[in-house]
Amino acid sequence: MTIFIHELKRNQKILLIWSFCVGILCFGCLLLFGGLEDTMEQMAEGYSQMGTLSEVLGLDRLSIATMEGFYATEISLMFAIGGAMFSAMTGAALLAKEEEGHTAEFLYTLPLGRTRIVLEKYASFWALTLLFHVICAAWILAGLLGAGESLPCREFLTFHGLQLLMDLEIGSICFLISAYCRKKPVGAALGIAILLYAADLMCRILPDLENLKYVTPYYFSNGADIFTGIKINTRLLGLHAAIMAAAAFSAVTLYRKKDLSA
Amino acid sequence: MNTKVIEIQNLTKYYGKHLGVKDVSLSVEEGDIFGFLGPNGSGKSTAIRSMLGLLRFQKGQIRLLQKDNIKNQKEILQEIGYMPSETMFYPAMKTEEIIRFCAKARGKNCSSEADRLCRLLEIDKKKKIGELSLGNRKKVSIVCAMQHKPRLLIFDEPTSGLDPLMQELFFDLILEYNKNGTTCFLSSHILSEVKRYCRNAAIIKDGTLIRQDTVENLTRSNIRRVKISLKDYEEEFVYTGDMQDLIHKLDGMKIQDVLIEEPGLDEIFMHYYREEKKK
Repeated sequence: MTIFIHELKRNQKILLIWSFCVGILCFGCLLLFGGLEDTMEQMAEGYSQMGTLSEVLGLDRLSIATMEGFYATEISLMFAIGGAMFSAMTGAALLAKEEEGHTAEFLYTLPLGRTRIVLEKYASFWALTLLFHVICAAWILAGLLGAGESLPCREFLTFHGLQLLMDLEIGSICFLISAYCRKKPVGAALGIAILLYAADLMCRILPDLENLKYVTPYYFSNGADIFTGIKINTRLLGLHAAIMAAAAFSAVTLYRKKDLSA
Repeated sequence: MNTKVIEIQNLTKYYGKHLGVKDVSLSVEEGDIFGFLGPNGSGKSTAIRSMLGLLRFQKGQIRLLQKDNIKNQKEILQEIGYMPSETMFYPAMKTEEIIRFCAKARGKNCSSEADRLCRLLEIDKKKKIGELSLGNRKKVSIVCAMQHKPRLLIFDEPTSGLDPLMQELFFDLILEYNKNGTTCFLSSHILSEVKRYCRNAAIIKDGTLIRQDTVENLTRSNIRRVKISLKDYEEEFVYTGDMQDLIHKLDGMKIQDVLIEEPGLDEIFMHYYREEKKK
């Protein structure tokens, strides 16, 4: 557990910054909802008449004038993108930072073994992502409480569970990239988080690009779909879980055989 | 016959097309203080990193403490203390945290030895790594390498960045550990420190091992740096050959002063390098 605890300590600052930023943003918006309730009706009407864009964002099925609709379309989007960026950055930094900071020689000459080091680093990524979700969920619940609103429990838990899976998948892909790199691929990681969101938008707008739903994890964890009761595609979930496992396995395999620079 | 703690056979490592080391073979016996001499970029660090399993090599076999260095890497590292040439730690951590982290990774409580070493080397344990100079980071690295009293110590250019007083202290520690049975392998480009503290040594140049022998034999070559002062001018040259002949040649010249000294590292390299080429 030496490396696991070490990584948690080293990443606690970035975890707190990101989780508090995303959490407080969601919290603030939830409180804002109460104050804007009167004008929300008009806004909801406008939003629902934006054609394809309304469909894509789920505004044709949900009204942002209700807390459920507001949460599923607005808050979920902020949370999804914020969470994906955090997990992508965390995953991307874990391995490459040792070579970038010239600490690889120190770390890998301790009698721990590369496999153990990589696995403990990966486990710390899971723990950090989970903690991010717990902190953000706490802020969201506080926001709901402050606004005097509530959400259906099953949908709320499903949404956050699938968001966690999405973040773990994105982070695992970035962890694999990190195993290749000698410098932290932060730009690439953020690019992946945003590109996958764009892929979700595209596959919802353009029927020809529907197959992108197999690529982007934003598709199965979409808030509007979950809160309108669209059945979860378990095959799709299985595929994305397999992608995550394959990325993690490849990262370990690759890193075990890699020449480490000083 | 003494136990061999380092056995390298035909180690060949290329970085893509660039040669790291080629057909390097050497062995170090238990209880030795072994010098690994070579100029910068000669392949010393490549050989050491290959030994420690940081680099995968194309050809050869390495056995440390009589175990295969790849298959038994964890067991081997448990009994090794290593100090890299460019000592880098996590800058946000305190010195004491780094020292404790190393001990924890080995599953050992090394606090008493660590405290003793910190006192000797005058290390401020409360300081953050990011605030330390290269020399002070080196001192922390010495503690990390020695606190668990390893069987084998490997140092890559250990004295660079250390002031002369600390260098002296460092070698005192090496001698102390060696007295207690620890084998020391130290790479250096400074001939004088190898000559002073090592019993055996190997010379590497351009990725090729030129020679391995006792330090006495290696430095007892017939090369000498000769400096003569005549009335009007001074002349300095490297002489290889019979000393009697040299004295005969100098005889009759109006010499005001003469200095015949041991050669520098470069001259020794070149001497063995030429000898190797002749073969």
